[in-house]
Amino acid sequence: MPSERAPSTPSADDLRNGRGDEGTPGDAGAGDARGRLAGVQAALVAALVAGAEAPGGFDADRLRIQAASLVAKRRSVVARLRPDAAAAAGSELAADFARYAAERTTPPPGYRADADDFAAWLRARGKMPEPPDRRWFAPLLRWLKTS
Amino acid sequence: MNGLVAHAPAPGATPTGATPSGAAPAGGALGGLRLGVGIGWRAEIDLTVERLEDVDFVEVVAENIRPGRLPESIRILRERRVPVVPHGVSLGIGGAEAPDAGRLAHLAACAEALRAPLASEHLAFVRGGGVEAGHLLPVPRTREALDVITDNVRRAMDALPVPLALENVAAIFGWPDDELTEGEFLGELVERTGVLLLIDVANLYTNQVNLGLDAVETLDTLPLERLAYVHVAGGHEHGGIWHDTHTAAAPQEVLDLLTALCARVTPPGVLLEWDDDYPSDAALATELGRIRTAIADA
Repeated sequence: MPSERAPSTPSADDLRNGRGDEGTPGDAGAGDARGRLAGVQAALVAALVAGAEAPGGFDADRLRIQAASLVAKRRSVVARLRPDAAAAAGSELAADFARYAAERTTPPPGYRADADDFAAWLRARGKMPEPPDRRWFAPLLRWLKTS
Repeated sequence: MNGLVAHAPAPGATPTGATPSGAAPAGGALGGLRLGVGIGWRAEIDLTVERLEDVDFVEVVAENIRPGRLPESIRILRERRVPVVPHGVSLGIGGAEAPDAGRLAHLAACAEALRAPLASEHLAFVRGGGVEAGHLLPVPRTREALDVITDNVRRAMDALPVPLALENVAAIFGWPDDELTEGEFLGELVERTGVLLLIDVANLYTNQVNLGLDAVETLDTLPLERLAYVHVAGGHEHGGIWHDTHTAAAPQEVLDLLTALCARVTPPGVLLEWDDDYPSDAALATELGRIRTAIADA
């Protein structure tokens, strides 16, 4: 797994400082509490979907299992949304999707974008044919290219 | 089968228990409303859900529908007065940020369009640092997180026209500094906000296998008088970890937990969740039958 952190992930120092405040409840404002929670949740999501290191105190093995389970879930949804991409990858779907997912620092915001990006990733590697050009003048372009 | 009979509110009538604050009146978490035994409606099994006998209520994933253009199958079910509960998956009420007004408005619009007796979501966070996790992740069970989430739940309840029920989630990992058990955390949240509970017995089982949290002990600490309904689902064990995939028949252990729950309280509703790898109509009917048996065994 790549070790670089997603840009929005706080540093280990931020997390330590945030977590160090937990012993003084009551005087912390709601904003501070939200800020501390935001820091750890961002670090966790980065570890789960963007290959960042596990935040301190968490079981790194369990986070890896959770991360793999998230990739498997994405893969199954993507395969349903883009059966053409799943068919193009064929028996290498699991391996290709894992490589595709590992190469991104952050996943796309939704499954539809994920599916289209995976199809583009396959195309860029010559594993999936370009979609047919359905514009009315496409035959003319093809004729110009070949003549 | 014992008393789990659906009495759906008539279309056009004010749903039982619907108050602006989201709090249900006294006399049962849903004010006496019985949902019965149901199944999660999915577009892939829409005709199956319509055909199945004895489906007393359904749940629909709020993010998958448009309130102004309900799927025909949902409209048919509503015409039959089958209650439809919108079930949100993307609010992230356990997140560091206050719940998004647009997502809340969508859930509210779904509840209105479906004339739902309640809406449900998860005690989970789903994004962090602007990145979507694509999954329901467990929250830290600290007093500080409880304060943040209490505020989030109050905001959500204020924005909804119907009572809100929150579901316990399945976890693969735990947080290092938990101060409260799952039962204590949910109990505190219920006491502070009046939110209802959606207890997923498969998720209790998952957390027992994966994190060593005693499921029956959790049942004993939860304020079950605030129970709106129950989820039942199956999954797969892989390398000592239980994956709550909703793609298999519920293991007997999960149904035993349902029986244990029903021995403590009569749940207004019990609902089967099945996502992907859909089996035959007969297999789903068998699952609903197993659920009814587990309820009757209590």
